[in-house]
Amino acid sequence: MDSTAKTAAFGTRMMPYLAILEHDLRALWASRLVRLWLLATAVMTLFLSAANWPKFQDATLIASLLFPYLVFPWFFVVVVLGVSPVSGARAEVLADGILSRPISRCEYLLAAWSARVLLVLGVYLVVTIPAIAVVTLARRPVPEDTVTLFGIVSVLAVVGLVLTFLVSLGFLVGTLLRKPLLAAVVLVFVWYPIGIVLNVFSLEEFSPISLSRAMSTQLRRPWRAPDVDAKGHAAAQDTDALTRQLDHFLSVFSTAQTKPAATRPEFFEGGTFNDFSLLRVTLGYGLPTLLAVVLAMLFFHWRDL
Amino acid sequence: MSETSAQTPAVELAIRTERLTKIYGQRLIAVNDMNLEVPRGSVFGLLGPNGAGKTTTLRLLLGLQRPTAGRAEIFGKSCGPNAVAVRSQIGYLPTNPKLPEDLRPIEYLDLLGKLSRLPREVRKPRIASLLRDVGLLDATDQRIGTFSTGMCTRLGIAASLVGDPPLLLWDEPTAGLDPSARRFTLDLIRELGKTKTIVVATHILTDIDQVCDHLGVMHEGRMIFTGSMQDIRRRICRDDFTLELEGDPDNVSRLARETANLEGVEARVHDGRAEIQNSASLLVRIANGGSRTRALADVLRLVDACDLSLRAIHSGQNVTENAYLQLLQEDEAHGFHR
Repeated sequence: MDSTAKTAAFGTRMMPYLAILEHDLRALWASRLVRLWLLATAVMTLFLSAANWPKFQDATLIASLLFPYLVFPWFFVVVVLGVSPVSGARAEVLADGILSRPISRCEYLLAAWSARVLLVLGVYLVVTIPAIAVVTLARRPVPEDTVTLFGIVSVLAVVGLVLTFLVSLGFLVGTLLRKPLLAAVVLVFVWYPIGIVLNVFSLEEFSPISLSRAMSTQLRRPWRAPDVDAKGHAAAQDTDALTRQLDHFLSVFSTAQTKPAATRPEFFEGGTFNDFSLLRVTLGYGLPTLLAVVLAMLFFHWRDL
Repeated sequence: MSETSAQTPAVELAIRTERLTKIYGQRLIAVNDMNLEVPRGSVFGLLGPNGAGKTTTLRLLLGLQRPTAGRAEIFGKSCGPNAVAVRSQIGYLPTNPKLPEDLRPIEYLDLLGKLSRLPREVRKPRIASLLRDVGLLDATDQRIGTFSTGMCTRLGIAASLVGDPPLLLWDEPTAGLDPSARRFTLDLIRELGKTKTIVVATHILTDIDQVCDHLGVMHEGRMIFTGSMQDIRRRICRDDFTLELEGDPDNVSRLARETANLEGVEARVHDGRAEIQNSASLLVRIANGGSRTRALADVLRLVDACDLSLRAIHSGQNVTENAYLQLLQEDEAHGFHR
């Protein structure tokens, strides 16, 4: 088979996926929720920039612009967008119309999920990229900062990953509960105390608040900076962290006090956040995102419509 | 191979279910141990009262729901949620189809064409042709949200035909339609029935009477009868017809008396409607085994002899309706023997 025929065959195979993706994107874009959200993000970004323009250095100002996406209030809009495709009577009837066609449930769900992720990332980037460009390029009455391109890209990617995770979580809970309102309420109650839950397992570096606080440091980090001194040192650190995590976890059940770490401060206690690991955060949000999508597909595959 | 099956030509089946069962949440039996065979090329009426399990049966065939037990096959392939190949053979029209309100008809049909993996050069002309066939050519610039029930059904019909499938599953296709839209739909079923297998789920007996050649009757999730329309008509023991007459009421009474004197015939006069003077109708019932043709000839001779004019003859009652009601009564009476 020559390359043209292969491309045509691939295009035909992907046709239903792309059709649903396009349809969902159009439907989402036409919704009032998305348009209001876009407007609100633009207004809030403008407001935060104006308010902190003469006060914060570049990194701090950019971090403050990203705060609403990580902590409050935009996570709520994002999970609601994730919940909607296959929950609620109307959505199910429309899904019926599509799933009675020659398309697998997996294709349908992947396309619906991709549409929501693309839309959320689109709204987020279309507002934040110009704002960051203005902040970094403009002359402001504050000391010059050392924000790097790598820092900006990595921070945007981390926030994008968190938003993708939130969409996927909404997707999973929406598929499970089938009632959009109930799913949204459950997600609010899950996501709000997430910092406390992560703290119990000594995973506070993954909490949205911690990520938000670490943004300024990450924004100033250059490409190819020595993340950790040596491989052996990193392995020893990981073992140490794991031991402390287990101790901490067991202490919750035994009500015994954990021994304070003698060698170095707990994560982020140093205040400089130099131990922020892009890899760990990527894995920490990437793997649960994949898990949420796979579980949503499994539940959707087994359930009746 | 047995002798019988060797002699009987094997009927090619479009749909076959074997002990198909669907129980919702351990509480409601929607489809109960159902065996169904739909011959290829037939127009099959799936008849039953509301809640009999017709829609659930169609949804099980489409793979939108999973059977609790049993299996279903379409053109020899197993049905299920991921049976994409099976669904490519089916055009489904749900009851009062809910369509995306923000789209226009062409956009909607184009989306469905893409879901059927139709290339653009096939998709576009087919969409134009279907919109013309269902009479929506004038409504192509309107959003579906502005459509009436009849227009939505027409578009749903077009949607079920986009992939040109050999099997159509239409659930209550005439529900909520005005008389002309209903006539259009029934004519379309008749036309499509020449080339496709069609399953029409409905509780409207006249629809079945007009378009179907095979029938399955469902009651409380069970298939209580399957067969050809001739089979079900044969189940009726009674044979009756009604004559609408015009003339002197005394002559009508005389006709009734003389008709009742005929062998194996009963007759009863109904008064005519108040607004039509000198009108009456005569219900003629033929006893079991009597010749309907001979009785009708004798009665018509008497009508002439009694100096009455005949305005119309109706086949006494709806034959299929009688058969259907009889089946339901029998099924309920059987109780544990079912």
